[in-house]
Amino acid sequence: MKLLAATNRYYVLLSAGLFAVGSLVLYIGTDYAVRNEVGEQLHNHRLEVEARVASGRPLPEPLYRGQYSTSLRPRSLGFSDTVLLDPTEGSLVPHRQLTFRMVRPGQPPVWITLRKSLVEVDELLMAVVSSMLLVLGLLLGGVVWLHRYLSGRLWAPFQRTLATLRTYDLQQHQPLALPASRIEEFTELNQALTHLSSRLVADYENLREFTANAAHETQTPLAIMQAQLEQLLQLPALADDAAAAPLLADLYGATRRLSRLHQALGLLSRIENGQFTQAVPLDLASLLAEKAEQLAPLLEARGLALHLDLAPAPLRRLHPGLADSLLHNLLHNAIRHNVPGGDVAVRLTATALAVSNPGPVVSGDPSRFFERFRKHNAASESPGLGLSIVQHICAYYGFGLSYDFAPAGARHTLRVSFEPGAEG
Amino acid sequence: MKILLVEDEPALRSTLVEALRQGGYVVEVAADFRQAQERIKLYRYDCVLLDLTLPDGNGLDLLRTLKADNSLAGVLVISARDSLDDRVVGLDLGADDYLVKPFHISELNARLRAIIRRRRFQGQNHLIFRDLVVWPEQAEVLVHGEQLTLTRKEYDLLLYLLANPGRVLTKEAIAEHLCGDSVDAADSFDFIYTHLKNLRKKLQEKGAENYIRTMYGVGYKLSAE
Repeated sequence: MKLLAATNRYYVLLSAGLFAVGSLVLYIGTDYAVRNEVGEQLHNHRLEVEARVASGRPLPEPLYRGQYSTSLRPRSLGFSDTVLLDPTEGSLVPHRQLTFRMVRPGQPPVWITLRKSLVEVDELLMAVVSSMLLVLGLLLGGVVWLHRYLSGRLWAPFQRTLATLRTYDLQQHQPLALPASRIEEFTELNQALTHLSSRLVADYENLREFTANAAHETQTPLAIMQAQLEQLLQLPALADDAAAAPLLADLYGATRRLSRLHQALGLLSRIENGQFTQAVPLDLASLLAEKAEQLAPLLEARGLALHLDLAPAPLRRLHPGLADSLLHNLLHNAIRHNVPGGDVAVRLTATALAVSNPGPVVSGDPSRFFERFRKHNAASESPGLGLSIVQHICAYYGFGLSYDFAPAGARHTLRVSFEPGAEG
Repeated sequence: MKILLVEDEPALRSTLVEALRQGGYVVEVAADFRQAQERIKLYRYDCVLLDLTLPDGNGLDLLRTLKADNSLAGVLVISARDSLDDRVVGLDLGADDYLVKPFHISELNARLRAIIRRRRFQGQNHLIFRDLVVWPEQAEVLVHGEQLTLTRKEYDLLLYLLANPGRVLTKEAIAEHLCGDSVDAADSFDFIYTHLKNLRKKLQEKGAENYIRTMYGVGYKLSAE
């Protein structure tokens, strides 16, 4: 529920309550005022009648029977309420009456009753309720209009802040620059958010630097380890113990894996750092052919056929290292997750590159394949960074990257579209 | 053949010196920028192995100095900075080759040989190993004077072995040499085996001795004895 709708709900509840109480008060008040006024009028009429009799004139003839009647028999004196039938309307009309006794010289006393009609209850109620309803309607309409106006205008800074937050991307290393608002609360909110984002950016920056430094500092000890292990393997003394050399070789292999992992992480962090600004026009078709040639022994060893379908594509301005890494990881992924006797199909068009291969059905959310350290097989020696690198490179150049699985033939396809916008 | 090794990390420096001396090179070392600059001004080298990140300067400046002096020395850049931009800059400045740390010493040997061969003989030289003669420029291999037909990868493999006579070559080093260093060795051990088997067979058919030794669990070695 929107904040304004929630507020409105309370306004409506309050208004309805006030309306009920207001109607009651208005009714009682009006009723009292009418009664009072009628009583005063009746009293004045009595004085008039008494003055007339005192001046010796006879009692007036009643014009309407309902308003003035005389009787020689005693009646109860004072004010009272009564209900008379209005013959023309055919309804009972409430009246206020004043009865008094008049003594005329030489005549028997006469009881005079003066009456005045009161407003009918339902008419009064109708008038009160309808006027209250009108006011209530105006009030509610006003509230709705006001809120619409407010949400359009007063809440505009809030909406702007929200929109800015939605599109905020930490990768751009920029804190939010939210403007001050006329409204104090929004200004405070914007200040808090700007502060938060600058802290985020600073932390992210720290982390990035840390990763880059850690990567760099690891490289030297790794280089020493690898070089010294390789020298150890050359020792003639190793021949004396059959177990020693394979042990060292395993160690050597592990060192190599470590440095490979570390290179991949370093590459990822450098892509994130945007350190590959240099770009040269590259012919992807010839690069692909070159890569395929390089990976031929791998394909051969696994009995995989390679189908290259390279349409002449326009030169693309890419960093040569990133282009190499992109193609390598795509091809290598297709080789690694293949089936014996399978194939790798590479299709390059002017707008896209698709690499597909048959392979076992992969469970799980395809979007997670691109996560770091995502392994198809947990026991695999590969750290599972290849597709993450592919994704980062694509994101870096604004390429679209999609994964597709066709159950017919169980083919996995990774597709890089170079102009995702143009393709829709 | 005289080599200058510019490397600031003592442990790596001494290991590389040892390996290079085993390979038959005369090696001099410089631990920092100042020493290196002094040496390249004073002496002539066949090749300079240049670390780019030095405590007191940038190795790329040494490369510029060498080029400004019209030095005949080949330059092989080795650097922990595997930033690809450095590679491009280094090669643009006239470095002959570029190796990223950590690297296989056997790979270093192969690159070094290629550089020296190109520089010294403008390619017009041949390698002789026992009953083998290889003309690298023509990619020609002769066994007892008879031509040996090899596939591209078999030839690369043979040349790699010849660059490291007597050295144990790990499977990782061979795989990365043949397929580029981004290939995971674990994926590729079977193809190394296949290629080696074929190479041995072809050599034997021509009557060559079997000097490619299998080092169980480790890799292979071109036996010099």
